Amino acid sequence: MRHPKRLTPLPILLFAVVLAAVPAARAQQEVVLKISEGMPMIPLALPEFVVRGSSGTAQAAAREIRQALSDDIKYTRIFQLLPKEYYGYIRPLDPDKIMFKDWDSIQARLLVTGEVRDEGGRVVFDGKIYDVKSERFIIGKRYQAEKNGLRLVAHKMADELLKLHGEKPIFTTKIAFVSNRDGNDEIYMMDYDGANPTRVTFNKIKDYMPAWSPDQRTIAFTSYRAGKAGLYLRNIYEGTETAVATKGTNYSAAFSPDGRKLAFCSTQAEEGNADIFVLDLETKKTKRLTYNAAIETAPSWSPTGREIAFTTDRLGQGNPQIYIMDAEGSNVRKASFGGNYHDSPAWAPTSERIAFVSRVDSTFDIYVLNLRTNQISKLTENNVRNESPSWSPDGRHLVFSSNLSGSVQVYSVDYDGANLRRLTDRGENKLPNWAN
Amino acid sequence: MKKLIVCLLAVMLILSFATACKKKPKEVPPPPPQTQEQPKVEKVEAPVVQEPQLTEEELFLQKSLDQINREKPLGTIYFDYDRAIVRDDARAVLDGNAAWLKKFKTAKIMVEGHCDERGTEEYNLALGEKRAKAAQDYLLSTGVAADRLKIISYGKSQPINPGHDESAWQMNRRAQFLVIEK
Repeated sequence: MRHPKRLTPLPILLFAVVLAAVPAARAQQEVVLKISEGMPMIPLALPEFVVRGSSGTAQAAAREIRQALSDDIKYTRIFQLLPKEYYGYIRPLDPDKIMFKDWDSIQARLLVTGEVRDEGGRVVFDGKIYDVKSERFIIGKRYQAEKNGLRLVAHKMADELLKLHGEKPIFTTKIAFVSNRDGNDEIYMMDYDGANPTRVTFNKIKDYMPAWSPDQRTIAFTSYRAGKAGLYLRNIYEGTETAVATKGTNYSAAFSPDGRKLAFCSTQAEEGNADIFVLDLETKKTKRLTYNAAIETAPSWSPTGREIAFTTDRLGQGNPQIYIMDAEGSNVRKASFGGNYHDSPAWAPTSERIAFVSRVDSTFDIYVLNLRTNQISKLTENNVRNESPSWSPDGRHLVFSSNLSGSVQVYSVDYDGANLRRLTDRGENKLPNWAN
Repeated sequence: MKKLIVCLLAVMLILSFATACKKKPKEVPPPPPQTQEQPKVEKVEAPVVQEPQLTEEELFLQKSLDQINREKPLGTIYFDYDRAIVRDDARAVLDGNAAWLKKFKTAKIMVEGHCDERGTEEYNLALGEKRAKAAQDYLLSTGVAADRLKIISYGKSQPINPGHDESAWQMNRRAQFLVIEK
């Protein structure tokens, strides 16, 4: 009996950020960076899946799962999928007797195999991950699914690869967003690649600015029901809804990384003036964190939950900047520089980086501030409005909204600005929030 | 005694009957001359119910909120880019709105703050609220009671002009007024 083992031969790669600074022509402080994150990608072989029996269902399922898994692997920026042609140089895969030397000869470090069979109309998938150099079986997973669950099977397998690598899973997580595709602004969610868009709120009143809880079961959002903008929590799997802040205007919610607290922006203490508040979800007590006649909004927790980044225009109306404070409201300091309109901070869940929006003239772009080096890199570059950045759980990708195509749509892009892709097309879609 | 009264009454009754009978035979007067009488033209008129003279306020109360708002009784004011300060050109409009509120003393209104698309979602929502508040503060300073004014911000999500130039943006940077109670 083989037991799943740790991925010992592969050292846990530390993703030291290598920064190659290229000074920008215009601004002194602003630096355009080329970030090449970490180590070279790990070559991975994904040979055709083996289909047991002659079921057409199993064959179609094998193709669908493998295609989705290939797409996932390519998306990771960790694994490099070996070209299919390489497999032609070696003997075909025999799942019962893996010839590791063959796979080593085409430079594969990891080998992922799949076997698919039809069990009374249900598809059973056996996925296995091998380390080629040490000729070892690492982990195996067996999934059973109906036709509509095949993509999820692939996503679960891809998440196993990420977990082996010490990363948070991303492929089974969801992106919440606001869409007017069915009439008015309502909350929806979709897969990381835009598949399976699903409506979450159903009413004729505007629902807005969704934020996931870390357990990915609850979405906090602002709703204009009752003639004002209140903050509500919706458990999407139980369908229950709780009002958490309805006095004044309440929005821009963000769960703490441990899921116990909800930071948000509210005018509940001073009519017309937005400040940051934190609600303890267990004790139901609300604490005010900022006391200022200026606007304070857009709180975003640090990965440790000890600090909160936020936006304030205390330097002057129309000049919002990003600040950081301790989670209790003390030790407030300015974090953004080199511009006069910064907003929507999104603290990366895995690192000391904050994505934000900066306005120059009438265009908005997404930038990333590295808090350790105090350097800024620009992620989007296209003379339109790119807004509302939100990180993937592993901090390698971001989603944001853009009117690049004319209408406002949700896009994803990698941490270094590569791999821009559009995720939505029906109606206008904005305010994406990736569960993490 | 009783018998005596009854007898007396009976006698009186008989006596009065006798005198009445005696008067009956009377001379019949000659019939009046037969003249062709012209029929009088009669004016047929339904009685006019006098309608009460409605005051402006009573007229106002008769309308639905939708009707009232469709007539746009309250003027919209506009703001400078990135600002939430009531401009000089907005004062006259706000004075007009205040006068309207003084006339219709029961009306309550919602002040809505809006922004143009050249702001981020979060900051715009906060800025829209500041605009609504600035308009509300002005109305309060004219003596309108605080409980008649509510504020709300829609940020940039409800532009009135879908264009992408300065004239559209100017129209969208606004505070508008909605009657929510009469």
